[in-house]
Amino acid sequence: MAPESESPPPVASKPALEARGVVREYGPVIAVAGIDLSLERGDFLTVFGPNGAGKSSLLGLLAGALRPTRGEVFVDGTRLDFGAVEWRRNIGVLSHQGFLYAQLTVAENLQFYGRLYGLEDLERRIPERLAHVRLEDCSDALVGQLSHGMRQRLAVARALLHDPDVVLLDEPYTGLDPSAAAVLRGVLTELKDGCRTVVMVTHNLGEGLALASRVAIQVRGRFAWRGSREELDSNDFERLYHRVVEGRA
Amino acid sequence: MSAYLGQIRAIVWKDLLLELRTRERVVAMGAFAVLAAVLFNYSIDRTVVRPQDVGAGLIWMTIVFGGLLGVGRTFHLEAEDGALQGVLMSPVPKDAVFLGKTLSNFVLLYAVSLLVVAVFMLFFGMELGASPTMLGLALALGALGFVALGTLFAAVSSGTRMGETLLPILLFPLLVPMIVFGAGATGRLLSGRPVSEVAGDIRMLAAFALMAVAAGAVLFRFVVED
Amino acid sequence: MSGKGIRLTGTALAVLGLVGIVAVYWLSFFWVSTEVNQGIAQRIFYVHVPAAWTSFLAFGMAAFTSGMYLWLRDERLDRAAVAAAEGGMIFATIMLTTGPLWGKIAWGTYWTWEPRLTFTLLLWFIFLGYFMVRNSTENPEKGKRFAAVVAIIGALDIPFIHLSVVWFRSLHPEPIVLKPDQPSLPGDMLTLLLTSLVVFTTLFLGLFLLRYALETLRAGQQARTREATA
Repeated sequence: MAPESESPPPVASKPALEARGVVREYGPVIAVAGIDLSLERGDFLTVFGPNGAGKSSLLGLLAGALRPTRGEVFVDGTRLDFGAVEWRRNIGVLSHQGFLYAQLTVAENLQFYGRLYGLEDLERRIPERLAHVRLEDCSDALVGQLSHGMRQRLAVARALLHDPDVVLLDEPYTGLDPSAAAVLRGVLTELKDGCRTVVMVTHNLGEGLALASRVAIQVRGRFAWRGSREELDSNDFERLYHRVVEGRA
Repeated sequence: MSAYLGQIRAIVWKDLLLELRTRERVVAMGAFAVLAAVLFNYSIDRTVVRPQDVGAGLIWMTIVFGGLLGVGRTFHLEAEDGALQGVLMSPVPKDAVFLGKTLSNFVLLYAVSLLVVAVFMLFFGMELGASPTMLGLALALGALGFVALGTLFAAVSSGTRMGETLLPILLFPLLVPMIVFGAGATGRLLSGRPVSEVAGDIRMLAAFALMAVAAGAVLFRFVVED
Repeated sequence: MSGKGIRLTGTALAVLGLVGIVAVYWLSFFWVSTEVNQGIAQRIFYVHVPAAWTSFLAFGMAAFTSGMYLWLRDERLDRAAVAAAEGGMIFATIMLTTGPLWGKIAWGTYWTWEPRLTFTLLLWFIFLGYFMVRNSTENPEKGKRFAAVVAIIGALDIPFIHLSVVWFRSLHPEPIVLKPDQPSLPGDMLTLLLTSLVVFTTLFLGLFLLRYALETLRAGQQARTREATA
């Protein structure tokens, strides 16, 4: 007897960003000691942790800037291949370094990166992005003359210029004055549009929690604690953080 | 393909624009060219040695040392704000980054080498010889081979503790062919020999430049990955 | 081959090579006939030429394994490259010290721009660059990659260097010409030369295997320290 027709199995949606057992060693130093993570589209993961926990290395692995010593990274189901370059179109990275050229103007920096990413409509895109981060008046200023906060805002514009689906942020709030931080917060809040996947590494417990949907605490290369934002009580988080970091959780 | 070329063009544009704004390298290399010729004048006894006899060799050595100044700083401005990382994380193939950097270095060095020849002609009364175009070609091919190897090794040396001081050790052994054929051709051309006598040299310079550019393009990715 | 097997083979080959070297020395002093023009000093030829050949072989091995290392990322290939490079540098040094000695005694001049000598000098510096780059990075893995690139570029440039050095020499012949490879070597000299080549190669392979085994032990040691501190 023929089996009854079953409904087709649900198509497993590929995670937007996935890491399987990634390890990163620098000679004798193990920066990332085996981390698994799996993020869906729309997730916003904030990673907290003390200095030296390997958070920047983890971000570097996810960004395809670092080659994993072991393990693999998948973007939208496709394994990260260092030889190919197309997958880089979908990733935007904001580091504590701005990746900017101090001797070029704001507009020239964006033009350069726009051309690297093969973006077509730069005359429209660049003013839009600059307005987004409140830098529309500084188009012709040399980057070297901008304040730190303005440079960071420009770096945000650069990171998002090509509309990436995956956004990786490494300590973006470092050294920002309150108004610059507010602009950044506004931009990052907009990233939570359900289509983009964001991973942010930060020391700033308040800002980090405000936007997160998922949280992890990295200690010595591993996730010592992970969970969803809902599980957390923001008042209590600081104590939890210290407990985890000191190994008492 | 045009996207690829567009990316290379973007990198060359960016480098040349930076050079125009800062004028760091071009001034240093240009000043070096003139001052080296001055020092040479005082280092030779012109009653015993005719500059024409050693001119070709001095020209090429000046270009090599001046070129070292420029090529060593290839990745200097990228390192300031981590810009190289930004470029490497973009969807530009690593060989395109290499080719762009090499091309902008070439423009710089070729301009300087023409200056060197002009300065030597002025200071030592040398003549251009039968075929200035061939001379220009020899200089161009030599400069291309030099900057290709130089750009690759500049990336290597900037990742080491020794930095630019490592560059001569890595580069000089490999430059022997370029000097032999380049200075050889230049010497012959400057003393009025016919073009046919330098055809072999030019071919070797071209082969060398081709090897350097191709090898650099392929190997660059292994140097800059992390 | 297991670690122990490699060490054993290496030791066996090295010992064989050393014994062979003693034999070659004895033969070159007491057995082989004296060369007509240069006299006794010519006997250094039987050390000088095989040393050069071995250093070229070593470099070829270093460049090849470096290329494979960049492609396959197998640590063992890098270990082979560094072992070959060290051996190569040693033999290049031997060649560069015996050459001028020979030149001084036989012809009164320490250095001539003889193609093989010049070529080996440049090769020596390429080896030097290999080691300097390998040891001057923060991250050792980066140093290995850089060194591999140096070896490969060196190998690609070698044909050009050879051609240019030989060609330059043909244009500027110097009054004194070393002719290590005369077109026709008399029988016993040829035999000794070939024997010496085999002996030197054996010695090199033995040293290579031992060095490789040492590097493997070192890597194992590092892995154990890493795990202990993790």
